[in-house]
Amino acid sequence: MPSLRELQLRFAETAFADEDAPPPFVTIPPERAVERMAVYRRALCANYRNVLGASYPVVRKLVGVPFFNAAVDAFVRAHPSRSGDLNVYGDAFADFLERYPHAAALPYLADVARLEWAQDEAQRAADVATMPDDVLAMLAAVPAGQLPSVQLVLAPSCRLVASPYPVLRIWKTNQDDAAGADRVALDEGADALLVRRDSGGVSIERLAVAEHVWLAALAGGASLGAAIEATKGRGAALDLAAALGRRIGDGSIVGVVAP
Amino acid sequence: MSRPLSDISACGIGLRSPHVRQVQDERPPVPWLEVHSENYYVDGGPALAALVRLRADYPLSLHGVGMSLGSTDPLDRAHLARLAQLIERTEPALVSEHLCWSGVGGRALNDLLPLPYTEEALAHVCARITEVQDFIGRELLVENVSSYLAFADATIPEWEFVAAVARRTGCKLLCDVNNIYVNAVNHGFDADGYLAVLPRDAVAEIHLAGFDASGPCLVDTHGAPVAPPVWALYRRAIARFGAVPTLIEWDTDIPPLSTLLAEAATAQAILDTPDALAA
Repeated sequence: MPSLRELQLRFAETAFADEDAPPPFVTIPPERAVERMAVYRRALCANYRNVLGASYPVVRKLVGVPFFNAAVDAFVRAHPSRSGDLNVYGDAFADFLERYPHAAALPYLADVARLEWAQDEAQRAADVATMPDDVLAMLAAVPAGQLPSVQLVLAPSCRLVASPYPVLRIWKTNQDDAAGADRVALDEGADALLVRRDSGGVSIERLAVAEHVWLAALAGGASLGAAIEATKGRGAALDLAAALGRRIGDGSIVGVVAP
Repeated sequence: MSRPLSDISACGIGLRSPHVRQVQDERPPVPWLEVHSENYYVDGGPALAALVRLRADYPLSLHGVGMSLGSTDPLDRAHLARLAQLIERTEPALVSEHLCWSGVGGRALNDLLPLPYTEEALAHVCARITEVQDFIGRELLVENVSSYLAFADATIPEWEFVAAVARRTGCKLLCDVNNIYVNAVNHGFDADGYLAVLPRDAVAEIHLAGFDASGPCLVDTHGAPVAPPVWALYRRAIARFGAVPTLIEWDTDIPPLSTLLAEAATAQAILDTPDALAA
């Protein structure tokens, strides 16, 4: 008699095997057991296809359902779920698509996936109670000489997505309520995007390159001075006062950590 | 504060995302709501905010699908902590999980997989249920699952296994009448004999849902109306257990809210007059 652990390990192996096979240690004959195991295998597949389809609706629309489902099946084998909470499954899908040979003809696909995952995460990120006036007061309390050394804290829902492709237009054009059959030219320009959530829901905004670089540096924990330094040579010069005003005002910057 | 669910004997519905807006706007007179706990394992955002608002008007049950109670991997402490946090935020009347395993070897299968009904599995799952109850500091309801396979080395009939879990751990049972019917057909046992063995005092909730009969065995899809033989079994369950709080579940091909409410009304009629209908 196998141990419970051995039984579970063998069952899981059969569930994810590439070919139909009878599960171990069952009461029914092998040919009928294959059929019953296939019920579980189909349910597992359908479950992951649905879950990733809900997180990546535009990727699915771009490649079509059969291609998407095959990609998910391969992804599940390469990056199995590790959590009983399926809502957090799929963060590695964009990186997977980037290396997925069958998607090589669609170089923008992984970035579209990144944009969709950013929205998924923004949707369930922590709420923020801090108001813009609070942040302005925190900033005003910092002695001028120390300003370059402060860290600015971004709201938990803020995500920065950059792509050499016009992923925002691709995403918008593929919404169910998009008007007309808009054509997007892949060479029409790169995108530097800020995804965030406020009381109105999740929004996506296109930023100037320097502001995007600055926010990305802040998100990575850089000091204000270092984040400004990082923007040098990255597109038109950053208008710091304007950028600070915008991002404090819209709730993207929610805290100031003094050095 | 929680309105105690023990005071009501009525039929609620499983609240799924397509219906949240409508329930918020229309506040239908459904006596209580159940949600999948994991859908609210979030740090914030509109879904959790909506649940907290609804919680002010409806008694709530948290139904977990991902704890993997029967797995031989260690219990996922992060998952448990999320549950404890959600319990604190929503003060649910009931908290439930499944008598199954859902992953092993660090890999989640995210499905409700059957245990082999052995003494080893019984001791293991009972220890885990106790661990969960100790961690959340309250009673857990444990649900019998549907299955499409049975294991050769099983030494305990499923119904005795389920009854023993309740007796040994002091947990309550969430008796899924549809799952009992599905398994009775798939494995060829007597569903009434199953009900007869479950300890009356332990059954604290009943689930009803629809199955799919198009494959090689009955599959618990939660994607169809409750089937006539399941309604009949439900009447006999109510005759035995009393007017236990009942829930209509629908998870695939989710119909309009009105369809769920109509199913709940059918169950409510049975709850209200069990003797007249039990014949």
